[in-house]
Amino acid sequence: MIVSMRQSTLQTLGLGTVLEIFKKHQLPANSSNLVDQVFGANDNRGSLVISGANGIVGAGKAMQLGSRLEAFGVPIVGLDFPGTPDGIGNQFPGLVEAFGAENAQKIMANIIRLNYNGKNLPKELKELKPRFLLEAIPEILEIKKAHYKLFRESFPGVEIRSVTSGFPSSELGVGIAHPAFPHEINKVWEVVEPEPSNITKLLWSLGLIPVPVSDHWSFVLDVLFCGITLAGLRYHQATNMPYWKIDKYIRKFIGPNPFRAHDVIGAKGANFLTWSCLHHLGNNYGELFIPTLDLTERKETGQDWYPPDHFRPMVNWRLDDDESDDFLSWTLGPLFQMTSILLHEQRGNLSNINAIGELCAQFRSGIIATIRDIGADSTIKRVASYHKLHPVAASTAWYPEVFEKMNDPEWQQLYVNAEHDGKVGVITISRESYNHDVDSELNRAIDWLKKEGIHNVIVTGDFHLATQMVGADTSDFFPALENVDEGDRVASTWSLTARRLHNEFKVSVGYINGKRCMGGFLELLIHCHYLVTTDEVKLGMPEVTLPVVPGMEGCHWPFRKTIPENWPKLLKLLLVGNQVKAIDTTGWLCDYTGTQEEALEKVWKLANEEDHGLKLRKVVDTALEGIPTDVQLPASDNEGMETARKVIMETIKDSCSVSLSEALSKQSKHSANFMISKHCKTGTIGTVFNQVMNI
Amino acid sequence: MTKEKIMFPKARIPYGTWGSSYFPAWQTSALAEINIGQFAGEAMNKIMGMKKVPKTELEYLVIGSTIPWHWKFWNAPMVASCMGHRIPGFHLEQACATGLQAIIHAASEVEGGSSDVVGVLTFDRTSDSPVGVFPERRAYRRTEAIADVWDNFGFDPATGNSMLITAGLAARKYKIDREEVDDLTFHRYKQYFDTIDSGWLDNILIPLEVLNIQGRFLGLINEDTGVRRLSRASLRAQRELDTCITPGSQTHAADGMATLLVTGIEKAKELSTRPEIDIQFVGKTELRVGPSYMPEAPALAVKKLLDRTGLSMDDMLVVKNHNPFAVNDVIFAKVMNYDWHKMNNTGSSLVYGHPQGPTLTRTVIEALEEAVTLGGGYVLVFGCAAGDVGIASIFKVTEGGKKL
Ligand SMILES: NC(=O)c1ccc[n+]([C@@H]2O[C@H](COP(=O)([O-])OP(=O)(O)OC[C@H]3O[C@@H](n4cnc5c(N)ncnc54)[C@H](O)[C@@H]3O)[C@@H](O)[C@H]2O)c1
Repeated sequence: MIVSMRQSTLQTLGLGTVLEIFKKHQLPANSSNLVDQVFGANDNRGSLVISGANGIVGAGKAMQLGSRLEAFGVPIVGLDFPGTPDGIGNQFPGLVEAFGAENAQKIMANIIRLNYNGKNLPKELKELKPRFLLEAIPEILEIKKAHYKLFRESFPGVEIRSVTSGFPSSELGVGIAHPAFPHEINKVWEVVEPEPSNITKLLWSLGLIPVPVSDHWSFVLDVLFCGITLAGLRYHQATNMPYWKIDKYIRKFIGPNPFRAHDVIGAKGANFLTWSCLHHLGNNYGELFIPTLDLTERKETGQDWYPPDHFRPMVNWRLDDDESDDFLSWTLGPLFQMTSILLHEQRGNLSNINAIGELCAQFRSGIIATIRDIGADSTIKRVASYHKLHPVAASTAWYPEVFEKMNDPEWQQLYVNAEHDGKVGVITISRESYNHDVDSELNRAIDWLKKEGIHNVIVTGDFHLATQMVGADTSDFFPALENVDEGDRVASTWSLTARRLHNEFKVSVGYINGKRCMGGFLELLIHCHYLVTTDEVKLGMPEVTLPVVPGMEGCHWPFRKTIPENWPKLLKLLLVGNQVKAIDTTGWLCDYTGTQEEALEKVWKLANEEDHGLKLRKVVDTALEGIPTDVQLPASDNEGMETARKVIMETIKDSCSVSLSEALSKQSKHSANFMISKHCKTGTIGTVFNQVMNI
Repeated sequence: MTKEKIMFPKARIPYGTWGSSYFPAWQTSALAEINIGQFAGEAMNKIMGMKKVPKTELEYLVIGSTIPWHWKFWNAPMVASCMGHRIPGFHLEQACATGLQAIIHAASEVEGGSSDVVGVLTFDRTSDSPVGVFPERRAYRRTEAIADVWDNFGFDPATGNSMLITAGLAARKYKIDREEVDDLTFHRYKQYFDTIDSGWLDNILIPLEVLNIQGRFLGLINEDTGVRRLSRASLRAQRELDTCITPGSQTHAADGMATLLVTGIEKAKELSTRPEIDIQFVGKTELRVGPSYMPEAPALAVKKLLDRTGLSMDDMLVVKNHNPFAVNDVIFAKVMNYDWHKMNNTGSSLVYGHPQGPTLTRTVIEALEEAVTLGGGYVLVFGCAAGDVGIASIFKVTEGGKKL
């Protein structure tokens, strides 16, 4: 029996546990089979029809799905009115950039564009055997319903999904696959259907991120995104602060810049969609969601929220402490109240809800993590302060009791889950960048496995929400730019967590699939006794390019695990910052690479201590001698990077030349000291800090 | 205090819904580098925000400025867009009378019933005066290029004389003594600095941070830059430019903006930070004197206004004028037999500078605030304007100060 801390998000897709993936050495769904099931077998392949294919969503999804389905011989039919501006053609340059000219042409050649008048489907469609209609036409209920009727009459049995931003499935009479901007690259789809369907599983198997949500007016993303937009609008109404400045403060305190986002998506369409969602939410839930007059006006005019370039803002606005607190009440207050509704209605798995904000709405920390961080009492107080400022919102539902469950694993393990079968444990991480939340949750997962008597562990991504591991979340370093102790604290606590993977398990295996694993995450995973990856994975330590000095023992741990002949390769990895193919790092970073199935099998064998044929690379715990210093590097004209190289080199020397027990603090001190240097402050992290926080 | 007639019985100035930028001397601040129309719109929005007036309350905007600015053609609607509220409105100008005239016209909009909340926004940038090129068939050069600020100040086409000359002529006509002018100037400086030092103006003069095109800090407009503390001796030592006129006893060009609201009676109560205060328009007049005697025009305008309203100088609680030349005040005192020490208590444009459009708006705001501080009464505001014009207006402030 498989036991877990909480439900894995994979289970919400009907795809089982992560542990089973390792156990069976295979993924729970296979694109090729699912394509057959959705589109018919190879000799009778039907097509995917995207209606509204020249629209923002239609064209984006034609690219995203077209590039993935072309190899399976599924034609993409793009349906739109004659005379609509060519949305699909505009995507071509992006396609070339992502896939190269030849592949881009292949993908485009597989897209068949048909015009129709909105009343009769084109004759040619029949030949193309539509099996799946992805409807991306305007957000008007009657038009959408008439469209389905037309398709169902002509093609009974066709599967239909609407990309609607706000109409529930019960109103539309079709399932929902609600995508997130930017549509050609954002992988998340909120899906509404009674049971996870083959279409949903197919999306997952194609590397996308379907996330089941319940059938309500407006889905999680739009409640959060339209909600924060509305909060900004209300603040504007109350104080006159211009939208551009409100955007900066929302970005500072929460993460998104909703007004800029509307302009980037295209204010005309986006204003309407936001208004439409809020309008329906307002009708269904009350004042909390009622759109403001300026939004109502702008859905008609399509006016941008930012002034045109020739009117770049001239008079600045600043908030003092009291005003900042009011600002937080105006913005977080309604978001918390809205979230209480989402939770009360059980809109979805908490990790999923939390991830939607991060992956689709630029939340620095998902809404559930934010609330957890603040605590139930402060959250409730914040909503009370909001109601003081905006009393009518108190007439809308508000469920403070949902926060009583904050100590449950669903709340506590938003990013890190653990499963075990009595012998092997699997720790899954669903966040692409490592931050304080991941760190605490990882510690709790380790504690839980140990309490459950598990000694062998696999550490991996979650095969769902995280499709890569990009390293540390640099916003966690902001306080460290000013405070050396803070930098030291972050580096040493995170390093101690990483060491637990090495010290507290009999066998630990790190597993990497997906695109890449970099920086802090790579440092974390090399602490496992074994590191296994799929062939296509890229590894890298890009810290030097930011520049920062790696803080989680990357400067000595891998040196202690490999023979001196490999040390120059590690030096290059650290001092150049390039990505390398995992397959080229066998023996000095990873222990094994292979196809997905091979790698999964190897991990399972290692974790079960079966015959796996790999030799454990032991960590030398005494001082290392002979670290080369004359490594040939391509010159960099970036002064910050040159300095970082020197400091990283010193860090390597200092932390390798002491015993393992002393090395941790050597490295974290170097890392912390560099963080307060001018190079870090003027580098990527400092620049982002200034843009986002120093406003 | 009941003998007067009220000029606009339905219009009010809601107490506190006002503010002004500081007036940095020309070419000394970030204001020299920006489009003043845009700046004024954005600044008004911010000031209204600080005074807890949602800009959406505004229905109409009267703007006033005297020096052409980029996109002036687009008028009040453009400035309103910069404020972030797309309302109609119009631009009005009457040289240095603009700042008062705009308030009066806003009141007439309310009185006439066409709008209930009218914004008054006056502004000017004397820095980097634009140069206008005018085809002039009759001019011997056929085309005239005019630097708007300086060429106009230096030449009244109706008389051929400069502003400065009008001051000298008037000083001679009224046999003004240089000693008294210097005494008065020194007193005006003291009044200004005493008020600034007391912090009393903090409620009126709003510091504004100006951003550059990249959105980074360009400058802080947080003082009337260029105003120096002058000693009596240094005033005495200054060279006369014309009779009784020295650099110290005349104003200087500046940049800035000022804003207030004019509303109906109920709205005033709703928007004001102190609804118990009532500010009414009692009367206004204008008059024009003989060629090149501008500094006597305000005094004569006041005389006319008092005759019309049946009020006397003794009825006035606060007296304040736009005094580009110190001789204006001396002539006024002489004509009205009034002690000039009693007027311009919180400062005057002679000292803090003269950005033209907003000058009399700031003067009115300071005067009304002073009346509130003193507990209410009549407020007389007046000034001179190009073309030997004088303008004067009386406001009535009641309830003010009772709760202080
Ligand atoms: N824009 C976004 O970021 C976004 C995000 C999520 C969901 N959505 C949803 O996607 C849908 C489309 O929005 P959009 O922003 O792409 O709009 P859009 O206006 O950019 O595109 C709509 C397209 O549909 C075409 N069209 C109109 N009626 C049609 C019909 N009867 N048959 C076929 N084509 C028709 C139009 O010509 C246009 O090309 C809406 O339901 C919206 O709620 C949009």
